[in-house]
Amino acid sequence: MSQFGSKFYDFYTHPDNASLMAEVGKRYGYSGIAVVGHDTNEKTNFPEDFSIYRGVKIQAKPSRIREEIRKYKDSDHILIVEGGEDEINRAAVETEGLDILLHPLEFNNVLAKAASDNSVSIGFNLGLLIWLQGVERVRELKTMRINLKHARKYKLQLILTSAANSIYDMRAPREMVAISSLFGMTEKEAVDAMSAAPLNILRRKSLNFIQEGIEII
Amino acid sequence: MKTIPTLREKKRYLAFEVMSEKIINRQELVREILNSMISIYGDKGASEINPSLMSFDGKYGILRCEREKRVETRAGMACINNIHGNRVSILVLGISGTIKGATEKFIQQTLVNKPELRKK
Repeated sequence: MSQFGSKFYDFYTHPDNASLMAEVGKRYGYSGIAVVGHDTNEKTNFPEDFSIYRGVKIQAKPSRIREEIRKYKDSDHILIVEGGEDEINRAAVETEGLDILLHPLEFNNVLAKAASDNSVSIGFNLGLLIWLQGVERVRELKTMRINLKHARKYKLQLILTSAANSIYDMRAPREMVAISSLFGMTEKEAVDAMSAAPLNILRRKSLNFIQEGIEII
Repeated sequence: MKTIPTLREKKRYLAFEVMSEKIINRQELVREILNSMISIYGDKGASEINPSLMSFDGKYGILRCEREKRVETRAGMACINNIHGNRVSILVLGISGTIKGATEKFIQQTLVNKPELRKK
């Protein structure tokens, strides 16, 4: 259990009260969260050494997704597309600049290859497993298993998120690892999905980063 | 009759903290923990985990489980989202081999480090 010394991030939350969420997140052992759809510019008191990043969830018709991604590509926001039908996934993974494709349905090898070319990470929404029960949970677990299989084959980056609406939906990193073991993720993969992968996304968002392999030092 | 040591069940104690909108009582928590485990692992899996609540005071508690099933127990606890209409989230503070260890090392430590939590 010594892998838990690293920094942890939750990259997809949409809280109604961001400062409370940050406080609880810090207590749970996170180093930062990404907030989607909440104006963090307002003066709210966030705890020290806890970072808040801004995320943008792109919701558009499949034909418009490419345009929307290009619009936000050069900002420091974290771009998230909530996956769904094949057309949305296809448009999302084929556009350079997207960071996370969250919970795609009907994921296949063509999409996985495109995602690997454009270095898009695959997100797993563990909030679904917490909130659903019975048949629906079985369906989501099955989807996650398929996604994980493809992600392993094409060496995609994995991201674990809680998609928390309130402080009661958040779970501590160790709990997230335990939940992700339900669909066959190993402990190391899960820890990397909450620490190494988010840090890699942040590195690519930084101003010093030009291209994979080229950086201003 | 006393069981011989090699045949005794190997157990672990999880110290946990419940964060809820309203104070929940022991019976509701026990029922919800069992429901959650059975929902995820089925009757067979839940019997292997063998969870039992040792003590609970409305906020902190100790749950006993099988030694090899710590991760499963954690997952079962984490999937609880609602008890009797109140939204809850359960945080496992730590795992220990004895009740005394779990109490001293995790629950009392939390109260010492965070004095403001005592008021809540």
